[in-house]
Amino acid sequence: MATEEALSNGNETDWSDRYYHIDQILDKPGPRTDPSFLAGEEVKRFLRETCKILVIGAGGLGCEILANLALSGFKDIHVIDMDTIDISNLNRQFLFRPKDVGKSKAIVAAEFIMNRVPGVKVTPYFGRIQDKDEEYYMQFNLVICGLDSVEARRWINATLVHMVDPDEPESLKPLIDGGTEGFKGQARVILPTVTSCYECSLDMLNKQTAFPICTIANTPRLPEHCIEWASVLEWPRVFKDKKMDTDDPEHIGWLYKTASSRAKEFKIEGVTWSLTQGVVKNIIPAIASTNAIIAASCCNEAFKIATSSAAYLNNYFMLIGTDGVYSFTFEHQKRDDCPVCGGQAITVNVSKEWTLERLIEMLVEKQDVQIKKPSLATPKRQLYFQAPPQLEELTRPNLEKTLSELVDDGEYITVTASSLPFDLTLQVKYD
Amino acid sequence: MSAVSESQDIEQATAAIQPPDNKTRRYDRQLRLWAASGQNALEASSVLVLSSSATLTAVLKNLVLPGIGHFTILDSAVASPADAGNNFFLAGPSSIGKPRAQEATSLLRELNDSVEGEAILKDVGEYLKTDEGRAFISSFSLVITHNLRKDTLDELSRFLWAGFNNPPLMVVRSAGFLAEFFIQYHEQCVAQPHTDENVPSLRIVRPFPALTKWASELDLDSLDPTEHGHVPFVIILVKAVGEWKDSHDGKLPSTMPERKEFKEHVVAMRKKIDEENFDEAEAQAWRIWSDPPVPNAVQSLLTLTPLTTSMSPNTPNAIFHALLQTLNAFVAAPNGPGCLPLSGALPDMRTDTESYVKLQTAYKERAAFEKARFKELLKEGFPALAPTIDGEEIDTFVKNAHHVRVLRGQRWSEWDADKEALASSLSSSPRETATHLALSALSTILNKTPDGSTVTVEALRTEVQKLVGEGVELPEEIGSAIGELARAPTADLPNTAAFLGGMVAQEAIKVITKQYVPVNGYCVIDMVDMWTGTICG
Repeated sequence: MATEEALSNGNETDWSDRYYHIDQILDKPGPRTDPSFLAGEEVKRFLRETCKILVIGAGGLGCEILANLALSGFKDIHVIDMDTIDISNLNRQFLFRPKDVGKSKAIVAAEFIMNRVPGVKVTPYFGRIQDKDEEYYMQFNLVICGLDSVEARRWINATLVHMVDPDEPESLKPLIDGGTEGFKGQARVILPTVTSCYECSLDMLNKQTAFPICTIANTPRLPEHCIEWASVLEWPRVFKDKKMDTDDPEHIGWLYKTASSRAKEFKIEGVTWSLTQGVVKNIIPAIASTNAIIAASCCNEAFKIATSSAAYLNNYFMLIGTDGVYSFTFEHQKRDDCPVCGGQAITVNVSKEWTLERLIEMLVEKQDVQIKKPSLATPKRQLYFQAPPQLEELTRPNLEKTLSELVDDGEYITVTASSLPFDLTLQVKYD
Repeated sequence: MSAVSESQDIEQATAAIQPPDNKTRRYDRQLRLWAASGQNALEASSVLVLSSSATLTAVLKNLVLPGIGHFTILDSAVASPADAGNNFFLAGPSSIGKPRAQEATSLLRELNDSVEGEAILKDVGEYLKTDEGRAFISSFSLVITHNLRKDTLDELSRFLWAGFNNPPLMVVRSAGFLAEFFIQYHEQCVAQPHTDENVPSLRIVRPFPALTKWASELDLDSLDPTEHGHVPFVIILVKAVGEWKDSHDGKLPSTMPERKEFKEHVVAMRKKIDEENFDEAEAQAWRIWSDPPVPNAVQSLLTLTPLTTSMSPNTPNAIFHALLQTLNAFVAAPNGPGCLPLSGALPDMRTDTESYVKLQTAYKERAAFEKARFKELLKEGFPALAPTIDGEEIDTFVKNAHHVRVLRGQRWSEWDADKEALASSLSSSPRETATHLALSALSTILNKTPDGSTVTVEALRTEVQKLVGEGVELPEEIGSAIGELARAPTADLPNTAAFLGGMVAQEAIKVITKQYVPVNGYCVIDMVDMWTGTICG
């Protein structure tokens, strides 16, 4: 199959005209192409022989991303995913077949791509992104994320921002992030420390519906209230320390049955298996078409950044596909008080009569902070620590105290949480 | 409290419960968007694509995965080395020299066992000239083309447009980073647009008897503090509106000061400062001045003349128009509520279980009552058609009566003959119109030389100028668009193909399921600056 021309490129799997389509773009600039674009062999060689790209997530977006990158000419692709394949993935994660259920997404996806697209090397890692250190992330030219977890996105974003060394241009790894929900989605380009980062836009996330515990316990009205009662209150009461596994059909079955009997008792209609699963797993609807659009946008940006063949997205593309096709492209602004890339402390205006516990509740609720189980300290004292148990016990009495007993006006509080790879600095101002 | 016994193991407790079957589990994430009705419509559909380009196999992938019933690829081409390089649904170099449609069909079918797929190795242009070919093409639910030769596309679009019963046609064009698609349809009737998640009218200003009775019998002063804090906001508002009308000659609050005064009246009804049900009543007071008997968008549909006089069950949208006309009769009926039928939905609110369930029952019963009236009117107005209509279709229509949509379209490329409209669009939406015109110019040139060898910036500009008329000055956006097309006139880029694959499949799903609202006009895409826009809508 290999022609002389292909062999002269040092790449035996490239057949003549393999890149007929893409080379139309790489052989000459367009009217909006930056003058720094070096059309021709050099850019092709970089893309096909040198460039190393990391894909985080081999699910709905990840499968699409891997296929697009492979066809675009990226040949050294790495992919990380900690999940295994479930039957409910098969309506969109098109590299998987029923026989693959239960296997690692990263490994199956990598093998599929290598079989289908000759000459592309895909290196899978079946595990968590947190298992890898900065040295690992430093080897890539670009990172693309197709994740459904806010926590994982915050982690990789903070890690890449932290890696930037102003004296080493190579340490700045462009991060392209995609996300979808039903017919909606977004794709964005993050140049760590240069553009707005993932943390800067945390307040754009939809707030999750949380049902007040008193409604769940005393005045259920919706089927969701009955399901929450079964999972939040009844499960721990009946099974004590046994961990609920929302992927286990028996566990879902028990919750469904328990929620149904409560609903019956209160004459509430609408508890179904599907709703039970949806509520306890916080299922987000997902379809192949939206994933295809968003993944294609992400890969298009990766291609443009890797080749300079066209300007890249500055910096946010948002899509709503429910009523016709509506999209909005805009520059999301950096936040000066972004705890990851901003450097300035977040100011919180509170009453000095507040207890420490109330301040912690506010932090958990706050849209631009979204921190779970935070530990707090001032330079002078430990305010409250979630762990270890001895320290927790020691600092627990502070929860009841008013802020004015613990913190001076204008003083800084450092907030940490095990889920986040960075500290948050708050400046307390009393009303 | 719980009916589940204390000493149990999970296995025992759940022995009788059957988890959903494999099909439901496989489609779970999409059933949450279009439910079983949408899924059934998909499974009953058949889609014809006229080429197995990278773009069209990407479209098919996104239709096979969610489970359309059947697809056919009509394509006489043999896979080229270039095809093997940019199409994920060819098996790399081993597909080269083999029939492209056949290779793609077998790899697409792997995605979903329940989807039928076939390859027909015929030339579209020639097939379209035969009676057999035309009958075959029009037998599908939907026809999709990508970069089809202009002459053939013109013939195809005219043929499909000529028959009211013919399927919609989706026309996709792309080159390099630029693309557009258009859906040719006479009419799309959307019974479930899913565009507004708010619960429609709660009838607070036109209360039905059960609401009036509840509100008038309610003596707020006699309630204990717990009961008082649990009166549903709907009842609070019905009561407050009644009191307001009594003291204002039967009129509702309308001016800004009156609305403010009304809200103050609601707030004054509470006993304690922290009664959340009264906060809710204040926050929901907008429902009183934003609850027309029929929303404007629906009002214009009530008297919409159908495109055809035929009201046979086989005429597309005949049932929908019968339902719209019945809706008009329902609103006008002297013994009816004088507004759209009640949806029956009730949002969650601060109240106790008993009151909520009682209120919910009242809404459901009233909705059922009005639906029965609606069905009577349907039977009176359409005695022949009514018995053929599926009950579920009526339920869905009535439930969504506040949101239903009707879109009317035009024939593919009709717009390109309207110089005035093009010039006007060029000044109001320059980048979208410029890209559309550049793609039209490219089609004209490729019609003569499909290999792209005669595509130049000058040739494109000449064609664009012909389209809009010699006197029209071309904005700079034209330069950006034609420059990009001259750079890559025949490039079907993997990322552009994948993007279109998602967009076009999404729109196809909307057309097939009659859920969510499809594009009306030309949806134009620029993947250099990464924007989309719709023109001629």
